[in-house]
Amino acid sequence: MGLVGLCLLLWILTPHFLTVANALNVMEQTSINAIVAVGMTYVIISGGIDLSVGSLLALSGVVLAAALKAGWPAALAIAAGLGVGAATGLINGLVIAFGRLPPFIMTLGMMSVARGAALLATDGRPVSGFESGFRSIATGRVLGVPAPIVLTLAIYAIAHFVLSRTRFGRYAYGIGGNEEATRLSGVNVRFHKTMVYVVSGLTSAIAAVLLTARLNTAQPIAGIMYELDAIAAVVIGGTSLSGGDGHLGGTLIGALTMGVLRNGLNLLGVSSFLQQLVIGVVIIVAVLVDVMVKEKRA
Amino acid sequence: MRNPQRQTQKPRNPQRNIFSACSAGSALFVVIAVIAGCNRGGDGTASSAKPRVALVLKTLNSPFFNDMQRGAQAAASRLDVDLVVQAAEREIDVERQMQIIENLLQTNVKALCLTPSGSREVVPAVAKANRANIPVVIVDTRLDGKAAEEAGVKIVSFIGSDNYEGGRIAARFIVDATKGKANVAVLEGIPGHETGDSRLRGFRDGIKETPGIKIVASQPANWERDQGFNVFQNMLQAHPELDTLFACNDMMALGAVEAIRAAGKTGSIRVVGFDAVEDARKAIQEGTMLASVAQFPDEMGRLAVENAVHAIKGEPITADAKVRIELITKENVK
Repeated sequence: MGLVGLCLLLWILTPHFLTVANALNVMEQTSINAIVAVGMTYVIISGGIDLSVGSLLALSGVVLAAALKAGWPAALAIAAGLGVGAATGLINGLVIAFGRLPPFIMTLGMMSVARGAALLATDGRPVSGFESGFRSIATGRVLGVPAPIVLTLAIYAIAHFVLSRTRFGRYAYGIGGNEEATRLSGVNVRFHKTMVYVVSGLTSAIAAVLLTARLNTAQPIAGIMYELDAIAAVVIGGTSLSGGDGHLGGTLIGALTMGVLRNGLNLLGVSSFLQQLVIGVVIIVAVLVDVMVKEKRA
Repeated sequence: MRNPQRQTQKPRNPQRNIFSACSAGSALFVVIAVIAGCNRGGDGTASSAKPRVALVLKTLNSPFFNDMQRGAQAAASRLDVDLVVQAAEREIDVERQMQIIENLLQTNVKALCLTPSGSREVVPAVAKANRANIPVVIVDTRLDGKAAEEAGVKIVSFIGSDNYEGGRIAARFIVDATKGKANVAVLEGIPGHETGDSRLRGFRDGIKETPGIKIVASQPANWERDQGFNVFQNMLQAHPELDTLFACNDMMALGAVEAIRAAGKTGSIRVVGFDAVEDARKAIQEGTMLASVAQFPDEMGRLAVENAVHAIKGEPITADAKVRIELITKENVK
């Protein structure tokens, strides 16, 4: 509802907002945050948090870029990038589930480890210049719709199915809602908890592929503060930070809301400083409204 | 053990709700995409009386870019154009800068002036401006030649100082001030940035012929004041013999000045910066900094807008405009 209201408002305020080109533009820009937010939704539903997504994105991106530069075929290089993301997510998950480290601490540490690894691997320099075949992931079109939008929708469709229709998805809710009860009912909590972080690592790596193709560059300093954008999209989408409750449709709307807001403020020529302020207020108000609506229902 | 699936706590949200909300979200996404696909290129809004020029900066929280903005704004009001100035929250956020450019291209800007946050990363965004037939003026930091050529992007003009020459000027000054004997530390900008790399190259070339000048440490502090402080503090720990610092911008130099103060070494280390921002000029007056290479960002801003207006009117433009540079020391500081 908030998103529709926001769009209406921007439509009234600026003639440039409701154009075809701009609509595609906003969705394309939203896709990276939206994809990172998929994994974040899983993690938050399971009662955790993943602060390392931005760094994982950078690390996966530079590995992918290095593989492409070494002459690997695009498919193999992408697999390598995704593999690194999933593997780093696996380390997060294993330490959290088996080492009983709070997710906040583990992923905070990993945020620095992965960033450091990305900087070390590249000597701090961006890696750039890829073939147009690889770049078509970001620049191509499917039936007139930019490829990043199609990719985002496909990921949401799959991730939604997994979250709502499979055991893994149900267990994620269970772990976030009441971990002890879930464990007592015979669920392998540790395994499923670990997998949640693998999903998050994987979606960060998918976002890395998209970002690398889009900028024609992989930067070791990419993705700084993306964790906060992703968390914001998740909570604007109505997922509870205390776990056990939430859904991906909300996250997509949350990510779109942030994208529309940034786009609209650019179109209106609002000062960059004011933009930050407005985005912060919108996050607070969105969650506040969500909490009040839920309380009324209960 | 009973069937685990029945025992698992159900999600608090009923399944149906999750599904409907989710599909509503995707549906919205699809609907917009489809509408979008149907009537592309429908931006038929009438242009306002004044031509609109966009100036996209690296950041707005640096005095250098504030000066550039001021110069641009003055030129804009003189030439009667509508100037929109935007920047990302963080200087290194290239993806965000690209988004800003894409967004501004949706409004009816007639020309784009841009200080690239990344010499290569921003090339796809310039390509988009080319496709929209909007002339692009690059300011301060050059596009990466190879990346630009591969993408086939065109710019109408580049406006900037000769950073390489600036680095050489700083080097010559240090050679003279130290009579050819010094242990030098260098604070570099973000690696891979054309501006910083040129200054560094100029500086290194400038001291090459003076064997008494040794670079004992050279590390990036990413243009920032706090990082300049930390990195230089670490350098002082590792190399107590340091007596001279060249920082590729003043923010890092000013951070280092504080680190020097904290170490109680004020006055014993020569600090030379780059940009001659207001704080650096004050530091030169106080004697905590020795010199800074002055650029004239306000002039860059002015030239950028002027060239943008020339481009809109189809008038001839200088393809490569060099803005003067000058060494500021205690003698000529104001």
